Amino acid sequence: MTAHDEWEQNSDDPLGLRNLETIDPGHDGWADIESALLAHQDSKQASKRSWQRAGGWFAVAASLLLVFGISMRNIENPATNNPALASDTNVGASNFVAQETDNIGALIGLSQNMENQVKQLRQGTSSMPAESAIYIAELEDLIAQVDNELSFTPDSIDLWGQRVNLLLDLAQIYQQQWQIDYGRMAAL
Amino acid sequence: MMGSGFDIHLDEVTLAGAKRGDMRACEKIYRSYHGPAYSLAVRICKCRELARDVTQEAFITAFKRVPQFRGESPFWGWLRRVVINHAISSLRKQPRYDAVELEDNMAHTIGDQDGLGRAMDLSQALEQLSDEDRLVVWLHDVEGYKHREIAQMVGKTESYSKTRLNRARARLRTLITSNDERGTLILNGGTARNALA
Repeated sequence: MTAHDEWEQNSDDPLGLRNLETIDPGHDGWADIESALLAHQDSKQASKRSWQRAGGWFAVAASLLLVFGISMRNIENPATNNPALASDTNVGASNFVAQETDNIGALIGLSQNMENQVKQLRQGTSSMPAESAIYIAELEDLIAQVDNELSFTPDSIDLWGQRVNLLLDLAQIYQQQWQIDYGRMAAL
Repeated sequence: MMGSGFDIHLDEVTLAGAKRGDMRACEKIYRSYHGPAYSLAVRICKCRELARDVTQEAFITAFKRVPQFRGESPFWGWLRRVVINHAISSLRKQPRYDAVELEDNMAHTIGDQDGLGRAMDLSQALEQLSDEDRLVVWLHDVEGYKHREIAQMVGKTESYSKTRLNRARARLRTLITSNDERGTLILNGGTARNALA
């Protein structure tokens, strides 16, 4: 690193980016935020009850998927999850960080792919039975909750794992409906 | 207003009101910080449409979470972090090609630049950077975050942040120089055309 590079590295704002003006929003989103907050307050109790009634089995399934995902990760690379083993096998801290980063990167990539797949399946689905629609709404709520958590802990591997699992469930519902639709078309 | 513009003091009464779920207090907070939050989101996401969604979601999250805010740091710093986290999260979720589709064309034609000077060039150059480079250079140079903090936000190492910063600054410098050259050429061409007319 040259002296100039070093100076620039330590300099706060060598290009004068702070002189750029703030960008005017040109819109007022308060009404939407207010209604979302009021709806949140109202639905808090209702969703709690419906979640307890209908979502018990789903929580178990999601947990199992999560545990399965974590177990697979542990099997694939036991050293990264066992510090003692890591030191025995000379796996350093930097390798641990790199491995975690790789895992998160892979999950983010998978999440993006699943998001695309769900989008395509949604577009290709003509109609949906009420029961499935409710289930989809539940899943989308859960994905929103995970997204909310992710905004606070963006590098949580467990949260990205949960997001992928939820998207997988969502894709499965659309896939099943698509197969039903396709079967009907074929019968005609 | 220049730079981040986020460092606005919030009075205790309004904060307490927001913690109780008082909508008037929430609205006051929204009105105070909406501009800086949106501006920051645009700088990170580049796309105005996406930035609008990010800002909305960030405020909703912040108002839901504000009862948990302990006041150990200034409120604006906490809110700014919520916006940044939402923006990063949103960039991560965005498939690459969708980001291109959604991209709100903020770029202006070279002719529009005439007379607007270096600031416009820098703004455009910033948009030419990759998401990662733009994020790091903005968080470091404008928002004043340390490499350690940036690394934590993006889930990478400090050296990653330093490398990205160096790369982003070098690229920006190249883009600004090339823009200046193109601007001069076009300006000269325009003068020549005017003379002919």
